[in-house]
Amino acid sequence: MAKVKIDSKLFDRAKKAAEAAGYSSFEEFITFIIEKELMQLEGSSEGNDDVDEQLRGLGYIE
Amino acid sequence: MNKSYITIVSGLPRSGTSMMMQILEAGGIPILTDNIRKLDEDNPKGYYEFEPVKKTKDDPSWVPEAQGKAVKIIYRLIQDLPDGYEYRVLFMQRKMDEVLASQKAMLQRSGKQGATVGDDKLAKLFERQLNEFQAWIRGKQNFSILTINYHDMIHSPQSLCQKVNSFLGEVLDMASAASIVDPTLYRNRT
Repeated sequence: MAKVKIDSKLFDRAKKAAEAAGYSSFEEFITFIIEKELMQLEGSSEGNDDVDEQLRGLGYIE
Repeated sequence: MNKSYITIVSGLPRSGTSMMMQILEAGGIPILTDNIRKLDEDNPKGYYEFEPVKKTKDDPSWVPEAQGKAVKIIYRLIQDLPDGYEYRVLFMQRKMDEVLASQKAMLQRSGKQGATVGDDKLAKLFERQLNEFQAWIRGKQNFSILTINYHDMIHSPQSLCQKVNSFLGEVLDMASAASIVDPTLYRNRT
């Protein structure tokens, strides 16, 4: 697991926000935020065809 | 039974969604299923599927009928559900390597072709889509979600069923619901 240093005040604000939003842990909140930003930066459609192929084979989509 | 919301059982294929449907059925929740997909070695107690969910984007006419009932919908199709209804989602979570092993076994038994990419790539793609799904559902006011860990349900059915019961508004027959969990169906362990 990697560690990242952030400003203490930002950490406190984010921790409170995560608790108020109902995240089960602060780590879950941070992971979610980073994933959300990466989705926008990287684009999210690559590989969807592979997933569709798997789901179709299993009979869950048409 | 509160008829104002629709109970959705969701997750990745082979994450325990059929087990959750069995629990709800045993607990007294009416189930929306057509039994078209027959029980087999992969789901010896039945699939609990409802074919019209696959066409929801084009034809959501089945949705009003689902109020007060539970229906199984793969995570990818939940975003096709129309607004205007309250949805309570029980989202099953299981170790990715077990999910993929179980999916592989199911594909082999059925003789069907799945994705041609390797397990590592497929795992990353599934994880990314699940994160996208979580991001989407957190922004939807008419959806609430409870994540259920498959292994916790196998090992502590009583406490997990109590969580489900609270989430659904205390509507389950708890003794019947918790008794349905069958640890012998926990296969594809890693």
